[in-house]
Amino acid sequence: MTSKIGRMIAATAVVLTGATGAMAQDEGVLGAIKDRDSLLCTGHNGSYLGFAEVDAQGAWQGFDIEMCKALATAITGSPDKLQIIPVSWAQRFPAIQSGDIDVIIKVTGWTMTRDTELGLQYSRPYFVGPFYTMTRKELGASSIEDLAGGVFCAQAGTTVERILVDYMDSRGLEYEVLAFEKPEELRGAIYNERCDAVPGFGPFLSATRVEAPDPDAFIILEDVMALEPEGIVVREGEEALLDVINWMVSVLLLAEQEGITQANVDDMRANPPSATIERMLGVTPGVGDRLGLSNDWAYNMIKAVGNYGEIYDRTVGDGSRYQLPRGLNNLWNNGGVLYPLVLD
Amino acid sequence: MSALIRSRSFRRGAFQIGFLALLIALIVAAALVGRANILSQGMATGFGFLEQTTGWTVGFSVIDVGPRSTYAHMLFVGILNTLAVGLLTLVLASLLGLVLALMRVSTNTPMQIVGGTYIELFRNVPLILQVLFWYALLTHTPSPRNAISFVDVAFFSNRGLTLPVPALSGLDVLILVAGLVVLAFAFRGLSKSFDLRQRILGAIAAFAALFLVLLLTGRAPEMPLISVPALKGLRFDGGFTLKPEFTALLIGLVLFGASYIGEITRGGLLSVDKGKLEAGAALGFNSSQINRFIRIPLAFRAMLPALANQYVWLMKGTTVGIVIGYPDYFAVVSTSINQSGQTLELLALLMIGFVIINYSIGFAMNVLNDRLKLKGRS
Repeated sequence: MTSKIGRMIAATAVVLTGATGAMAQDEGVLGAIKDRDSLLCTGHNGSYLGFAEVDAQGAWQGFDIEMCKALATAITGSPDKLQIIPVSWAQRFPAIQSGDIDVIIKVTGWTMTRDTELGLQYSRPYFVGPFYTMTRKELGASSIEDLAGGVFCAQAGTTVERILVDYMDSRGLEYEVLAFEKPEELRGAIYNERCDAVPGFGPFLSATRVEAPDPDAFIILEDVMALEPEGIVVREGEEALLDVINWMVSVLLLAEQEGITQANVDDMRANPPSATIERMLGVTPGVGDRLGLSNDWAYNMIKAVGNYGEIYDRTVGDGSRYQLPRGLNNLWNNGGVLYPLVLD
Repeated sequence: MSALIRSRSFRRGAFQIGFLALLIALIVAAALVGRANILSQGMATGFGFLEQTTGWTVGFSVIDVGPRSTYAHMLFVGILNTLAVGLLTLVLASLLGLVLALMRVSTNTPMQIVGGTYIELFRNVPLILQVLFWYALLTHTPSPRNAISFVDVAFFSNRGLTLPVPALSGLDVLILVAGLVVLAFAFRGLSKSFDLRQRILGAIAAFAALFLVLLLTGRAPEMPLISVPALKGLRFDGGFTLKPEFTALLIGLVLFGASYIGEITRGGLLSVDKGKLEAGAALGFNSSQINRFIRIPLAFRAMLPALANQYVWLMKGTTVGIVIGYPDYFAVVSTSINQSGQTLELLALLMIGFVIINYSIGFAMNVLNDRLKLKGRS
């Protein structure tokens, strides 16, 4: 109640001071998050290594979880005002439609069916997932063609199933599919050699290899089967929340591009090197008002989770046990495909 | 008017009609509200997706399937997979259950102990655990390149049991099945002129002749008579492979189901009046004749209702196939939900599918029950 009154006063103040135009309305899911003072974000039923996993202390870790924390900080001001709801791959769409979760941040590929038929909309991609194939070294395969006729294990209901059949059929290669519902069963089948190969999302394969009883027995082939842009999903009609998400991703990337890190964000805020950074960190107003957030949301967020590169390193990159190369998920000026939008 | 209200049968009828109307109104209201909510959330878009191609495929199927198949076809494949493993389970579990029951009611103590131990062991361990156990056992076997081979024509590996099979086309198989049906009718029709042994031998000979004719005619000259599996690259080419997912699920269901069916059958056998068995003995029947002509037919009547229940249960039990990657109806629907996003439509189809399968089993058992029940009693 108090927060509602507070927001009304704030909104009145904004109107009185003359800020008009794209003032976001506190309706819909964004308003609900603020009222609740907590973000309901996706976890996983089990562990999706590197992206959403539970550590030894029982806390959620991973790239997607860090994105949830970033969004929670941007909206509520604290990374702790976050509830991770464990959902399976299949449950994520019904869960968001019914309002059990506010957003899906769960390496969700941007496909036409999901975008158009499910009443959902996507944010700009925050991760680009290459699909590779992992196989056992003893089979002596150096490319996917060498695996023709083999058994390919995949996780049921994911885009991997489609990518596999498209890749193999278009090259006239024979294959046999074995699909498992849970990642634990899939890993079991890979480790006990029921499968010859496992096509999958690059990060997932790296993690699966690291977890294997004998990681050196496995090799990830260089052939890229497909590329999947992963976006953050909200319900159709949640434009205010979608704006926040798009700018959250953009600010994380801009911070990396400008060399703003968790460690130096206070210095940067004290002595902003450029007008853009000054605006971004809320030294001059505007960056928050236009989204219906506080003006220091970007500062709070970087202070809490760091920039895009730091999140990547910590969860899946060189600073983690998965050692996944940045590859295409680097900034445009480092050979990747990611770029910030223009913060004017 | 007051007479009408005082009439007991009228009051009863009015109450029943009122109750029924209320029930229908409730259901309709719930459906309408649910539909409105679903539509406002954009969750349901109808059954049009059934015509779309899936773009994904499954690794085990009785009929042809591929990424260009429609969702309707894919769901049909799932139903056939469920029926394949389910019906085979019912037959095998019933046979094994009968053996177990006969062991338990026999007067032979070692037999009783073996039967009793089996039932206690398999009845008390959860089905899903048993299926996972058999699957782990079947996949912790050599890889295809190190397969255990039987004189180089049959192979056992973690890809399953690969056997040589006669090279028959789909049409050939169809003709064989049709032949079987014709022979079955002929078998019954000839009952007056030949004795049982002659008829059995005749039927086998006629069927073998049909089989040979199909094998030797109507095929390209270079096509071999028998498809022998051989290791080629990563897998066996030719022959027929019994995949470990199917085998593990079948073994798990049969062993688990047999322990229940065994107890049901034992109950049926024990329900047969002792006097009838003694009457059989007095007429000079030996123990196997007593079992065949008196005990089992009478026991069967008594146990049919319980057996129908168990059959329906086992058919539903096939859904644990999802944990070992067997694409049964439940697994196919689950994947379809994920791929197409049509959650509610597919859940409805899932329920309808199982209701039809299980209602059919129940219906067949009821018909059997009606035909077998002792006439003149109710």
